[in-house]
Amino acid sequence: MEYFYSYLILASIFVVLGLATNLLVGIAGIFSVSQAAIFGVGAYVTAYCLVNEVMGFLPAVACAAGACLLLNIVITLPALRVAGDYFVVTSFGIQLLATAAFLNWNGATGGASGMAAIPPADLFGYAIEDTGSMLLLCVAAMLLCCLAFYLAMNSPYGRLLRAIREDELAVAASGKPVIPAKAAAAALAGVFGGVAGSLYATFLSFIDPSSFDLNASVLLLSMVVVGGARTLAGSIIGPFVLLALPQVLTMVEIPSTMAAGVRQGLYGALLIAFMLFRPQGLAGQKL
Amino acid sequence: MLLLQLLVNGLVTGCALGVVAFSFSLVYSTTKIFHVAHAGVYTLAGYLAWSLARAGMPDIVGLIVVPVVCAGFGVVIQRLLYDPLAQRRATHLVVLIASLGLLAIVQNAIAVLWSPDILHFDSTWRVQTIKLVGVTLNYAQIATVVVSVALYGATLFATRHTGIGKRIRAVASNPFLAELTRLHPRRTYAMVMALASALVAVPGMLVGFDLGLQPYTGTTVLLTGTVAVIAGGVGSLTGAFLVSIVVTVLQNLSLLVMPGQWSVGITFLIFVAFMLVRPRGLFAAA
Amino acid sequence: MTVPFLQVSGLNKNFGGLQALRDCSFAIEKGRITCLVGPNGAGKTTVFNAITGFLRPESGSVQFQGRSLDRLPPRAIVRSGIARSFQNLRLYADMTVLENVTSALPGQFGEQPLSAIFRPFRTARAMRQANEQAAGILEHVGLGDQARVWTRNLSYGEQKLLCIARLLATGADLLLLDEPTSGLSGEALDRVMALLRRLQAEGKSQLVVEHNTRVVMAIADEVVFLHGGHVLAQGSPAEITADPALAEIYFGGAL
Ligand SMILES: Nc1ncnc2c1ncn2[C@@H]1O[C@H](COP(=O)(O)OP(=O)(O)OP(=O)(O)O)[C@@H](O)[C@H]1O
Ligand SMILES: [Mg+2]
Repeated sequence: MEYFYSYLILASIFVVLGLATNLLVGIAGIFSVSQAAIFGVGAYVTAYCLVNEVMGFLPAVACAAGACLLLNIVITLPALRVAGDYFVVTSFGIQLLATAAFLNWNGATGGASGMAAIPPADLFGYAIEDTGSMLLLCVAAMLLCCLAFYLAMNSPYGRLLRAIREDELAVAASGKPVIPAKAAAAALAGVFGGVAGSLYATFLSFIDPSSFDLNASVLLLSMVVVGGARTLAGSIIGPFVLLALPQVLTMVEIPSTMAAGVRQGLYGALLIAFMLFRPQGLAGQKL
Repeated sequence: MLLLQLLVNGLVTGCALGVVAFSFSLVYSTTKIFHVAHAGVYTLAGYLAWSLARAGMPDIVGLIVVPVVCAGFGVVIQRLLYDPLAQRRATHLVVLIASLGLLAIVQNAIAVLWSPDILHFDSTWRVQTIKLVGVTLNYAQIATVVVSVALYGATLFATRHTGIGKRIRAVASNPFLAELTRLHPRRTYAMVMALASALVAVPGMLVGFDLGLQPYTGTTVLLTGTVAVIAGGVGSLTGAFLVSIVVTVLQNLSLLVMPGQWSVGITFLIFVAFMLVRPRGLFAAA
Repeated sequence: MTVPFLQVSGLNKNFGGLQALRDCSFAIEKGRITCLVGPNGAGKTTVFNAITGFLRPESGSVQFQGRSLDRLPPRAIVRSGIARSFQNLRLYADMTVLENVTSALPGQFGEQPLSAIFRPFRTARAMRQANEQAAGILEHVGLGDQARVWTRNLSYGEQKLLCIARLLATGADLLLLDEPTSGLSGEALDRVMALLRRLQAEGKSQLVVEHNTRVVMAIADEVVFLHGGHVLAQGSPAEITADPALAEIYFGGAL
């Protein structure tokens, strides 16, 4: 049961991250492979605040969300000016830069050995220590984020983003703001990433750079692609399916040293298979 | 003397990186595919050479055989992945995601089939050193410089003066027209992939001789290479090769003032700042 | 002397040695249909780009209703009352016909994520209003029963009408239409021509790039003849078509 709970908790957290990636990559058409970096910043900010007892859980979440919001606008800024592929390089670069910072900024992040003994989340003085309550918290956060995503996408703002993806010039010619709309998408994705990071850090009570590296970004991308780009359903289905995969793998006899490699390789294979045979994913629209 | 040694080390790494960069540039400017999986070919080459060496072959055999194998691998990628995607009119984004997927497969397959940890070649020639005006160089490093510069020269000559090269450049400048004039862009793309994959195999092995092999480091190498490609002006082999050298020399010199872990990060930081100021690259045409 | 509705004066634009606009000056009057004619490559689209802020000319200026538009971004120019269409349409193919129009309606509530998320009911109401307004515009251009259709499934003639509908949605007083009839014939052509005249009657001023002499004769109040980025002549359709020198330039290449 405990095991199943933690699967559900992680999946809810990754749904929130999937929303962020879907918003940027699927809907706004900004190809970003640095969303794991944002996730990491959210997790580290929260962990830092809680471990050093700078503030309580909710203020820490707000700090993480705020930091990620600003940071995501800054790192998406090049995409607002730079055409397609150049931004891809920038985005990869930002991811590598973030990993380097997580690994080497020992004072703040604990370096390669990470941060341990992160206190659990608490709401209004009530500590969320058992897995059941944490599940409730994470599912509630997920539902709130899904609602926000749904409302934003089914509004004039969502329509504006879709129009921008189809033809920026035509949007400008209609007198609509292109750059502010994209920056707002980055901001919203940043908030999602920050919230997810906070939940992740407090749930595991231990974080290290390997959770926020390029592989994690690829995993996020796989989730969106497998679930289906551009739809709410896709962002929800993807994480639940992909996080079940390692559980399935544990049933196959492979040495534990190989498990990580096999899993990551499978994610890669899924990316290719879906791009070749089902670019709309399980429940999305064609990318 | 430390300064000189760092300078020379930067030069050596830069030559290897330069081959990665201009071979990527060949693919990118011809097929317009952002071929991230190129890093996978680069990494695979080193491991294939390592296995050949383990099987008792002298390293020179690997240096000759592996590029041929990688060329074949490049054609397979083009035929089984990029061509079908193009037929489905996949968007740029879809092709890129697929390429990223392939990279993940190759890197992780290497980690599973060989080892996730660092591997070194057994041969001893590569670690023998010579001393020149206070600078120590091992034979693997010397081989890197000589072979890389030779490859650069040969590729430059081939793209300018041979029929294949002219064909590649014609297809690169206008694939639609090339289709009409029966230059067979698809076949040309496969050729370019073969050529580029063979080229990138060489630094993959040479760097392996010098520093050993790791499954996941290729990504950083390729991305540093793409920085050089963009900063050097997309389509310019010379730009890609020279900027690669400049970048690695600067990275090495930065060791004088800060710890090495940061140098890659700083490179990208400078690149990001640079892209904000000059979104079209250094030598972009107006 | 009164201020002209739109005054273009002394525009120059160079594309790496190619002089696309050379001291280009002309004025158009309110409420009229002015046709911009000239051979291929004369710089007609470039003039549109310069007026609407998509291109910065090296020199020259544009005045609209006495206000300078120089250095304003496209967005501000649309808000001041000038909207342009594109020669290659640039419709949103993967959106519905209705959405193509609603996305051009100005000042909608819920166009920022915060208002969309925190004021959902007000946003929904605004969307309903926008949909009704857009449906009215579609009705007006004759696409009323196509509102829910995917744009990519429209016929070419219908797509051309949709482009005009999108311009109308911006609420602009001056419409710049880049070849609204090219590629059309028969009934589709007549529909567009009738629509342009109807819009004129409703007070929309228009600057129309047009290659078809018959259409020019039928709709234009005034013709501006552009050649090599320079205005060679401006006058009534009859005056311009009667000038053998202009006909020689226009048709010379073809003969
Ligand atoms: N962005 C650009 N870069 C370089 N040259 C350009 C650019 N835009 C236009 N030109 C050149 O400027 C000249 C004028 O182009 P423009 O599109 O304004 O002509 P046009 O009168 O609209 O022609 P058409 O009737 O074919 O639409 C052409 O020679 C064109 O090649
Ligand atoms: Mg034109």
